Amino acid sequence: MIFLIEYNRSKGSIVTIRDFDDSQRREAEDVRIEMELDVNRKGGNNEVVLLEAASKDALRRTHQRYFADLDGLLKSAAGPIQGSI
Amino acid sequence: MIKNSFSKTQIDRLGDRLRRVPHTETDLRLLDGYRRSFGDAYDEVIRIIRERDQFPSGRSAKSIRSIADKLRRESIRLSQVQDIAGCRIVVTDVMEQERVVASFGAAFPRASVIDRREKPSYGYRAVHIVAEISGKPVEIQVRTWLQHTWADLSEKSSDVLDPTIKYGGGPVKWRNLLTESSESVASYEVFEKSHSVAVASHEVFEKAAAKLLEHHLSEHKLQKIRGEQEDLRLKISDLNKKLEVSWNKNVDRLTEAISWLDKLKGETP
Repeated sequence: MIFLIEYNRSKGSIVTIRDFDDSQRREAEDVRIEMELDVNRKGGNNEVVLLEAASKDALRRTHQRYFADLDGLLKSAAGPIQGSI
Repeated sequence: MIKNSFSKTQIDRLGDRLRRVPHTETDLRLLDGYRRSFGDAYDEVIRIIRERDQFPSGRSAKSIRSIADKLRRESIRLSQVQDIAGCRIVVTDVMEQERVVASFGAAFPRASVIDRREKPSYGYRAVHIVAEISGKPVEIQVRTWLQHTWADLSEKSSDVLDPTIKYGGGPVKWRNLLTESSESVASYEVFEKSHSVAVASHEVFEKAAAKLLEHHLSEHKLQKIRGEQEDLRLKISDLNKKLEVSWNKNVDRLTEAISWLDKLKGETP
Protein backbone atom coordinates (compact mmCIF):
# COMPACT_ATOMS: atom_id res chain seq x y z
CA MET A 1 0.00 0.00 0.00
CA ILE A 2 1.04 3.58 -0.57
CA PHE A 3 0.47 6.27 2.04
CA LEU A 4 0.61 9.99 1.32
CA ILE A 5 1.09 11.89 4.55
CA GLU A 6 1.20 15.60 5.26
CA TYR A 7 3.05 15.92 8.54
CA ASN A 8 3.47 18.97 10.72
CA ARG A 9 7.00 18.65 12.04
CA SER A 10 6.89 21.18 14.88
CA LYS A 11 3.58 19.83 16.22
CA GLY A 12 4.75 16.29 15.50
CA SER A 13 1.36 15.30 14.12
CA ILE A 14 -0.23 14.13 10.89
CA VAL A 15 -2.31 16.78 9.10
CA THR A 16 -3.73 14.45 6.44
CA ILE A 17 -3.17 10.85 5.40
CA ARG A 18 -4.44 9.22 2.23
CA ASP A 19 -3.82 5.73 0.95
CA PHE A 20 -3.41 4.35 -2.56
CA ASP A 21 -3.06 0.88 -4.04
CA ASP A 22 0.43 -0.26 -5.03
CA SER A 23 -0.60 0.14 -8.67
CA GLN A 24 -1.35 3.84 -8.13
CA ARG A 25 2.14 5.14 -7.43
CA ARG A 26 2.10 7.49 -10.42
CA GLU A 27 -1.20 9.01 -9.27
CA ALA A 28 0.07 9.30 -5.69
CA GLU A 29 3.24 11.02 -6.94
CA ASP A 30 1.14 13.48 -8.96
CA VAL A 31 -0.90 14.37 -5.88
CA ARG A 32 2.26 14.60 -3.76
CA ILE A 33 4.00 17.18 -5.93
CA GLU A 34 0.89 19.36 -5.99
CA MET A 35 0.70 19.16 -2.18
CA GLU A 36 4.41 19.99 -1.88
CA LEU A 37 4.01 22.98 -4.19
CA ASP A 38 1.11 24.15 -2.03
CA VAL A 39 3.23 23.77 1.15
CA ASN A 40 6.05 25.67 -0.59
CA ARG A 41 3.67 28.54 -1.46
CA LYS A 42 2.18 28.73 2.04
CA GLY A 43 5.46 28.33 3.93
CA GLY A 44 5.27 26.80 7.42
CA ASN A 45 6.62 23.61 8.85
CA ASN A 46 4.78 20.86 6.99
CA GLU A 47 6.38 18.03 5.07
CA VAL A 48 4.72 15.76 2.52
CA VAL A 49 5.92 12.16 2.51
CA LEU A 50 4.99 9.24 0.31
CA LEU A 51 5.62 5.89 1.96
CA GLU A 52 5.08 2.31 0.87
CA ALA A 53 4.46 -0.60 3.21
CA ALA A 54 2.73 -3.95 3.37
CA SER A 55 0.00 -2.44 5.58
CA LYS A 56 -0.71 0.56 7.79
CA ASP A 57 0.36 -1.48 10.84
CA ALA A 58 3.68 -2.30 9.16
CA LEU A 59 4.15 1.39 8.41
CA ARG A 60 3.37 2.30 12.03
CA ARG A 61 6.11 -0.07 13.17
CA THR A 62 8.81 1.19 10.82
CA HIS A 63 7.81 4.88 10.81
CA GLN A 64 6.45 5.48 14.33
CA ARG A 65 7.72 9.04 14.16
CA TYR A 66 4.66 10.08 12.16
CA PHE A 67 2.10 8.30 14.31
CA ALA A 68 3.21 8.51 17.95
CA ASP A 69 3.94 11.52 20.15
CA LEU A 70 7.25 11.86 21.99
CA ASP A 71 5.70 10.96 25.32
CA GLY A 72 4.19 7.80 23.87
CA LEU A 73 7.46 6.83 22.20
CA LEU A 74 9.38 7.24 25.45
CA LYS A 75 6.84 5.25 27.44
CA SER A 76 6.75 2.40 24.92
CA ALA A 77 10.57 2.36 24.77
CA ALA A 78 10.77 2.11 28.56
CA GLY A 79 8.33 -0.83 28.54
CA PRO A 80 9.14 -4.52 28.43
CA ILE A 81 11.94 -5.33 26.02
CA GLN A 82 11.00 -7.12 22.80
CA GLY A 83 14.37 -8.86 22.70
CA SER A 84 15.47 -12.04 24.34
CA ILE A 85 16.14 -11.66 28.05
CA MET B 1 5.18 16.84 -18.86
CA ILE B 2 7.60 15.46 -16.28
CA LYS B 3 11.25 15.79 -17.18
CA ASN B 4 13.00 12.55 -16.27
CA SER B 5 16.33 12.70 -18.08
CA PHE B 6 19.09 14.85 -16.63
CA SER B 7 22.81 15.37 -17.05
CA LYS B 8 24.94 15.32 -13.88
CA THR B 9 25.65 19.02 -14.35
CA GLN B 10 21.93 19.82 -14.57
CA ILE B 11 21.26 17.83 -11.40
CA ASP B 12 24.04 19.54 -9.45
CA ARG B 13 23.04 23.01 -10.64
CA LEU B 14 19.49 22.27 -9.52
CA GLY B 15 20.91 21.13 -6.17
CA ASP B 16 22.83 24.40 -5.80
CA ARG B 17 19.67 26.43 -6.44
CA LEU B 18 17.76 24.34 -3.89
CA ARG B 19 20.22 25.30 -1.14
CA ARG B 20 18.61 28.74 -1.23
CA VAL B 21 15.04 29.70 -0.38
CA PRO B 22 12.51 30.46 -1.69
CA HIS B 23 12.30 27.60 -4.16
CA THR B 24 10.73 28.24 -7.55
CA GLU B 25 7.92 26.00 -8.77
CA THR B 26 10.02 25.18 -11.86
CA ASP B 27 12.89 23.88 -9.70
CA LEU B 28 10.56 21.84 -7.50
CA ARG B 29 9.01 20.22 -10.56
CA LEU B 30 12.49 19.47 -11.91
CA LEU B 31 13.44 17.89 -8.58
CA ASP B 32 10.23 15.88 -8.67
CA GLY B 33 11.18 14.55 -12.12
CA TYR B 34 14.66 13.67 -10.90
CA ARG B 35 13.48 11.83 -7.78
CA ARG B 36 10.85 9.92 -9.78
CA SER B 37 13.68 8.50 -11.89
CA PHE B 38 14.60 6.33 -8.85
CA GLY B 39 11.27 4.45 -8.94
CA ASP B 40 12.39 1.48 -11.04
CA ALA B 41 15.57 0.98 -9.00
CA TYR B 42 13.53 1.10 -5.78
CA ASP B 43 11.06 -1.48 -7.10
CA GLU B 44 13.89 -3.82 -8.08
CA VAL B 45 15.51 -3.57 -4.65
CA ILE B 46 12.18 -4.26 -2.93
CA ARG B 47 11.59 -7.26 -5.19
CA ILE B 48 14.99 -8.74 -4.33
CA ILE B 49 14.51 -8.09 -0.61
CA ARG B 50 11.05 -9.73 -0.62
CA GLU B 51 12.58 -12.80 -2.26
CA ARG B 52 14.57 -13.09 0.96
CA ASP B 53 11.41 -13.09 3.08
CA GLN B 54 11.87 -9.55 4.37
CA PHE B 55 9.10 -6.99 4.01
CA PRO B 56 10.45 -3.46 4.18
CA SER B 57 8.62 -0.15 4.32
CA GLY B 58 10.08 2.78 2.47
CA ARG B 59 9.91 5.39 -0.18
CA SER B 60 10.80 5.45 -3.81
CA ALA B 61 11.72 9.10 -3.30
CA LYS B 62 12.51 11.41 -0.39
CA SER B 63 10.32 14.47 0.20
CA ILE B 64 11.36 17.76 -1.39
CA ARG B 65 11.75 19.23 2.06
CA SER B 66 14.11 16.48 3.24
CA ILE B 67 16.23 16.76 0.10
CA ALA B 68 16.46 20.56 0.37
CA ASP B 69 17.28 20.33 4.11
CA LYS B 70 20.06 17.85 3.38
CA LEU B 71 21.54 20.06 0.66
CA ARG B 72 21.56 23.05 3.01
CA ARG B 73 22.99 21.07 5.91
CA GLU B 74 25.76 19.19 4.12
CA SER B 75 28.22 20.19 1.43
CA ILE B 76 26.98 17.40 -0.81
CA ARG B 77 26.01 17.59 -4.47
CA LEU B 78 22.49 16.52 -5.40
CA SER B 79 23.87 13.84 -7.74
CA GLN B 80 25.76 12.36 -4.76
CA VAL B 81 22.75 11.99 -2.46
CA GLN B 82 22.46 8.26 -1.85
CA ASP B 83 19.19 8.06 0.02
CA ILE B 84 16.69 9.63 -2.36
CA ALA B 85 15.14 6.17 -2.58
CA GLY B 86 15.32 4.01 0.50
CA CYS B 87 13.65 1.41 2.64
CA ARG B 88 13.83 0.15 6.19
CA ILE B 89 13.75 -3.22 7.87
CA VAL B 90 13.42 -3.60 11.64
CA VAL B 91 14.65 -6.90 13.06
CA THR B 92 14.53 -8.40 16.56
CA ASP B 93 18.16 -8.26 17.60
CA VAL B 94 21.80 -7.90 16.49
CA MET B 95 22.11 -11.56 15.56
CA GLU B 96 19.22 -11.29 13.13
CA GLN B 97 20.60 -7.96 11.92
CA GLU B 98 23.85 -9.67 11.01
CA ARG B 99 22.06 -12.50 9.23
CA VAL B 100 19.96 -10.03 7.22
CA VAL B 101 22.96 -7.84 6.35
CA ALA B 102 24.93 -10.89 5.20
CA SER B 103 22.00 -12.04 3.09
CA PHE B 104 21.70 -8.61 1.45
CA GLY B 105 25.45 -8.54 0.92
CA ALA B 106 25.03 -11.67 -1.19
CA ALA B 107 21.97 -10.27 -2.97
CA PHE B 108 23.70 -6.97 -3.82
CA PRO B 109 27.38 -7.93 -4.15
CA ARG B 110 28.52 -4.46 -5.25
CA ALA B 111 26.61 -2.59 -2.56
CA SER B 112 28.45 -0.52 0.01
CA VAL B 113 27.78 -1.31 3.67
CA ILE B 114 27.90 1.49 6.21
CA ASP B 115 28.01 0.09 9.72
CA ARG B 116 26.90 2.88 12.03
CA ARG B 117 26.95 0.55 15.01
CA GLU B 118 30.72 0.90 15.16
CA LYS B 119 30.79 4.57 14.25
CA PRO B 120 27.47 6.08 15.33
CA SER B 121 26.30 9.30 13.75
CA TYR B 122 25.31 11.55 16.70
CA GLY B 123 24.24 8.39 18.55
CA TYR B 124 22.38 6.90 15.59
CA ARG B 125 23.25 3.23 15.18
CA ALA B 126 22.12 0.93 12.38
CA VAL B 127 23.52 -0.78 9.30
CA HIS B 128 22.92 0.92 5.95
CA ILE B 129 23.43 -0.89 2.68
CA VAL B 130 23.54 1.20 -0.46
CA ALA B 131 22.61 -0.96 -3.43
CA GLU B 132 22.92 0.38 -6.95
CA ILE B 133 20.53 -0.56 -9.74
CA SER B 134 21.17 0.88 -13.21
CA GLY B 135 23.29 3.66 -11.71
CA LYS B 136 20.64 4.64 -9.13
CA PRO B 137 21.50 4.18 -5.44
CA VAL B 138 18.88 2.79 -3.08
CA GLU B 139 19.57 2.85 0.65
CA ILE B 140 18.46 -0.11 2.76
CA GLN B 141 18.39 0.57 6.50
CA VAL B 142 18.61 -2.49 8.72
CA ARG B 143 17.88 -1.65 12.35
CA THR B 144 17.28 -3.74 15.44
CA TRP B 145 14.17 -2.93 17.42
CA LEU B 146 16.28 -1.10 20.03
CA GLN B 147 18.28 0.87 17.45
CA HIS B 148 15.01 1.75 15.74
CA THR B 149 13.37 2.91 18.96
CA TRP B 150 16.37 5.12 19.67
CA ALA B 151 16.25 6.57 16.13
CA ASP B 152 12.53 7.30 16.49
CA LEU B 153 13.16 9.16 19.74
CA SER B 154 15.92 11.19 18.12
CA GLU B 155 13.79 12.00 15.04
CA LYS B 156 10.66 12.83 17.00
CA SER B 157 12.47 15.03 19.51
CA SER B 158 14.11 16.82 16.54
CA ASP B 159 10.62 17.46 15.20
CA VAL B 160 8.98 18.76 18.34
CA LEU B 161 11.80 20.03 20.58
CA ASP B 162 14.67 21.25 18.44
CA PRO B 163 15.54 20.38 14.81
CA THR B 164 19.27 20.27 15.61
CA ILE B 165 18.95 17.36 18.08
CA LYS B 166 19.45 14.82 15.28
CA TYR B 167 22.78 16.42 14.46
CA GLY B 168 24.20 16.78 17.93
CA GLY B 169 22.49 20.02 19.00
CA GLY B 170 19.51 20.89 21.18
CA PRO B 171 19.08 21.06 24.96
CA VAL B 172 22.16 19.64 26.72
CA LYS B 173 20.09 17.51 29.10
CA TRP B 174 18.21 15.86 26.24
CA ARG B 175 21.34 15.46 24.15
CA ASN B 176 23.11 13.71 27.03
CA LEU B 177 20.15 11.42 27.61
CA LEU B 178 20.16 10.39 23.96
CA THR B 179 23.94 9.88 23.90
CA GLU B 180 23.93 7.78 27.08
CA SER B 181 20.94 5.83 25.85
CA SER B 182 22.68 5.05 22.55
CA GLU B 183 25.78 3.85 24.45
CA SER B 184 23.57 1.80 26.71
CA VAL B 185 21.93 0.09 23.71
CA ALA B 186 25.43 -0.66 22.33
CA SER B 187 26.46 -2.30 25.64
CA TYR B 188 23.23 -4.24 25.76
CA GLU B 189 23.96 -5.60 22.28
CA VAL B 190 27.41 -6.85 23.39
CA PHE B 191 25.79 -8.91 26.18
CA GLU B 192 23.00 -9.96 23.84
CA LYS B 193 25.52 -11.37 21.37
CA SER B 194 27.53 -13.18 24.07
CA HIS B 195 24.29 -14.55 25.50
CA SER B 196 23.24 -15.88 22.11
CA VAL B 197 26.62 -17.54 21.55
CA ALA B 198 26.54 -19.08 25.04
CA VAL B 199 23.00 -20.44 24.56
CA ALA B 200 23.95 -21.95 21.19
CA SER B 201 27.12 -23.52 22.69
CA HIS B 202 25.09 -24.87 25.59
CA GLU B 203 22.64 -26.56 23.23
CA VAL B 204 25.45 -28.17 21.23
CA PHE B 205 27.24 -29.25 24.40
CA GLU B 206 24.05 -30.72 25.93
CA LYS B 207 23.44 -32.84 22.82
CA ALA B 208 27.05 -34.05 22.74
CA ALA B 209 27.02 -34.73 26.48
CA ALA B 210 23.77 -36.73 26.24
CA LYS B 211 25.38 -38.99 23.64
CA LEU B 212 28.53 -39.44 25.70
CA LEU B 213 26.52 -40.25 28.81
CA GLU B 214 24.94 -43.21 26.99
CA HIS B 215 28.32 -44.89 27.23
CA HIS B 216 29.99 -46.18 30.36
CA LEU B 217 32.35 -43.40 31.27
CA SER B 218 34.76 -43.17 34.14
CA GLU B 219 33.67 -41.12 37.15
CA HIS B 220 36.42 -38.65 36.33
CA LYS B 221 35.04 -38.07 32.80
CA LEU B 222 31.47 -37.85 34.07
CA GLN B 223 32.48 -35.20 36.58
CA LYS B 224 34.32 -33.29 33.88
CA ILE B 225 31.24 -33.25 31.59
CA ARG B 226 28.91 -32.25 34.44
CA GLY B 227 31.37 -29.54 35.49
CA GLU B 228 31.39 -28.08 32.00
CA GLN B 229 27.60 -28.23 31.80
CA GLU B 230 27.40 -26.31 35.06
CA ASP B 231 29.98 -23.74 33.88
CA LEU B 232 27.92 -23.03 30.77
CA ARG B 233 24.71 -22.74 32.77
CA LEU B 234 26.42 -20.28 35.13
CA LYS B 235 27.76 -18.28 32.20
CA ILE B 236 24.27 -18.00 30.69
CA SER B 237 22.80 -17.05 34.05
CA ASP B 238 25.51 -14.38 34.50
CA LEU B 239 24.82 -12.98 31.02
CA ASN B 240 21.08 -12.94 31.78
CA LYS B 241 21.81 -10.80 34.83
CA LYS B 242 24.07 -8.49 32.83
CA LEU B 243 21.37 -8.11 30.17
CA GLU B 244 18.83 -7.24 32.83
CA VAL B 245 21.12 -4.69 34.51
CA SER B 246 21.96 -3.14 31.14
CA TRP B 247 18.28 -2.94 30.16
CA ASN B 248 17.31 -1.44 33.53
CA LYS B 249 19.95 1.28 33.08
CA ASN B 250 18.36 2.15 29.76
CA VAL B 251 14.89 2.23 31.32
CA ASP B 252 16.25 4.58 34.04
CA ARG B 253 17.46 6.97 31.34
CA LEU B 254 14.16 6.81 29.51
CA THR B 255 12.27 7.42 32.76
CA GLU B 256 14.53 10.41 33.39
CA ALA B 257 13.72 11.65 29.89
CA ILE B 258 9.96 11.28 30.56
CA SER B 259 10.31 13.37 33.77
CA TRP B 260 12.37 15.99 31.93
CA LEU B 261 9.73 16.19 29.21
CA ASP B 262 6.91 16.48 31.76
CA LYS B 263 8.81 19.32 33.46
CA LEU B 264 9.34 21.02 30.12
CA LYS B 265 5.63 20.77 29.32
CA GLY B 266 4.86 22.29 32.72
CA GLU B 267 7.12 25.25 31.94
CA THR B 268 5.70 25.81 28.43
CA PRO B 269 2.78 28.22 28.54
